[in-house]
Amino acid sequence: MSGPVSRNRRLGLAAVVAAVALLPALESDFQRGLDSDAVIIALLVLSVVVLTGFVGQISFCQYSFAAMGAFTVGALMDGHGWSFWLALPVGVTVAVLAGVLVGIPALRLSGLLLAVLTVAVALFTDRFLLVTGTWDGFSGGAVPWHPSRPSLLGAPLTGSYAYYLFALAILCVAVLLVWNLRRGRAGRVLRAVRDSELAAATVGLDVTAWKLAAFGLSAGIAGLAGALLAVRIGSVSPGSYDFLHSVQLTALATVMGVSAIAAAPAAGIATVFGPELLSGIAVSSTWFPLLIGTALILQLVLVPEGAVVRTRHDMARLARLVSGRRGRDPAIAEAAR
Amino acid sequence: MSHAVIASLSGFSLLPSYTVIGLTLGGVYALAATGLVLIYRVSGVLNFAHGAVAMFSTFVAYQISVVAGVPSPIGLLAAVATGAALGFVIEFLTIRPLAGRPPLTKVAVTIAWLLVLQTAAGLIWGSTGYHRPVQLVGSNGFTVPFTNVVVGYDQLTIFLVAVGLSLGTSALLRWTSLGAQMRAVADDPQAARLWGIDVDRVSAASWMIGSAMAAVAGVLITPLLNFDTYSLTVLVIDAFTAALIGRLTNLPLTVVGAILLGLVQYYPKAFFNQAGLSELSTFVLALITLAVVFRPGLAASRGRG
Repeated sequence: MSGPVSRNRRLGLAAVVAAVALLPALESDFQRGLDSDAVIIALLVLSVVVLTGFVGQISFCQYSFAAMGAFTVGALMDGHGWSFWLALPVGVTVAVLAGVLVGIPALRLSGLLLAVLTVAVALFTDRFLLVTGTWDGFSGGAVPWHPSRPSLLGAPLTGSYAYYLFALAILCVAVLLVWNLRRGRAGRVLRAVRDSELAAATVGLDVTAWKLAAFGLSAGIAGLAGALLAVRIGSVSPGSYDFLHSVQLTALATVMGVSAIAAAPAAGIATVFGPELLSGIAVSSTWFPLLIGTALILQLVLVPEGAVVRTRHDMARLARLVSGRRGRDPAIAEAAR
Repeated sequence: MSHAVIASLSGFSLLPSYTVIGLTLGGVYALAATGLVLIYRVSGVLNFAHGAVAMFSTFVAYQISVVAGVPSPIGLLAAVATGAALGFVIEFLTIRPLAGRPPLTKVAVTIAWLLVLQTAAGLIWGSTGYHRPVQLVGSNGFTVPFTNVVVGYDQLTIFLVAVGLSLGTSALLRWTSLGAQMRAVADDPQAARLWGIDVDRVSAASWMIGSAMAAVAGVLITPLLNFDTYSLTVLVIDAFTAALIGRLTNLPLTVVGAILLGLVQYYPKAFFNQAGLSELSTFVLALITLAVVFRPGLAASRGRG
């Protein structure tokens, strides 16, 4: 997205955010819990967008980064009595460090082998590090951590609506951050790295450093999501952060289209309300990953650019048909880029 | 690591029998890894769904032999057929149309298959719980002369079948016409096409043979671990690690790597009582391999453009 954002677009976005913030006021507590989950999934997908969409690196350990945030916050709050506001930055920092550590082999490995390494990291985290008896001071051992909800400026976030607004605000900040990053110099560099590492290195860019930065940022966002999830559920257990969750997340982000930031909210809505819809039409919600997998296969073979980008493309074409306008629409130009 | 880790010197007395188990496990990894390398070399796709294919085929054998009580060799044959069929379907429907797309796109497709097979198996057979193994040979055994090490006939069979099939694949590549075609396609698909080789057919054959090998590996490993859908799907990381030791190309070295992995996974258990040690060993071995074997710019980024 190059060039200034039009005034209309900005107003439209503000209206959407306001609607998304206000609508859950009418919903039940259970429904608002799902809304918060959608926001957290959106953050996780955003972390995939940073890594896969910006630098073209595929990762199967995003939930391991989320676990770093979640378990650090759980251990510090429940185990050591820290405040959430102190534990949160520590958790995010731990996740960032984990991300940079995983990214370091990028110094010498191709993207494919690095992807294999992320599988190893995910299984190491899920089947060794978080197993009872390995490091109970971190994993909580047999009894999971129970971090409680914090208060913000004196207002407790224990209510479902308050917590939803809090998570949504964090998501908006993260999206703005990533969006600005993408529009600025960093975004151009990262795209150059994604499109051709060799060419990027030839024009003097430090490819490795930028890849490491992308790993750190991505892991940080995932860690933030993990911390939010820990406090939202009020309990941190290893099963919620395993390899299959990461696989499902990556698949979902790819279905939506990792090159678009809009994939994040779209994926959030899909993961949380998809299973709900399925249970509504008498198909068990355990079928959901099957649908994501099938959708991913169909999408890669038939719609390579991803659902969000394709939809934007189609909408632009429709708008053009309706208005009878000719020429390239900015949305198409972006999709084609 | 905390108090749960109990180091004891008496662990040394366990080493001989752990060697037997480690070798058996390593043999199975060799088989799985050989299938993985075959697919990667010929079609240029790193198959992340390799473990999932093994898992699904194994559960077909489980359904036939354990649930329905049909003799286990028939179950094994059914697993082989399922594996080959899955390999064909994956290649024909989802890899072939992606010709010319980046390697990571193909990786994403295999990940999608992982998700589909894993979820489908969970829906059919339940994702947790104890499953009785598909026992091909009785678990009674013999004592190695002059020692007190007991080797089960099942362990011996597993090891011989697995290593035999792995080395058989090397022989197939080296001495048969299909093998020669596969090597030609692996070296340069375009040139192979010019020589009149049906690249699509050869690629499909590699997927079918490689996936059938994964299926056999899955069935053979059932007596060695408390298997469920997840534990078999993540077999892929063991296959990856062994294949990395063979630089993703060298089959004999891959077999050696797999056996090394089996031993490295089992020996620590003689000294430490801690869950997840196998995974730790795999992780460390994978890291060391990546650091030592792969230099910048080597074989790594191979994949049909």
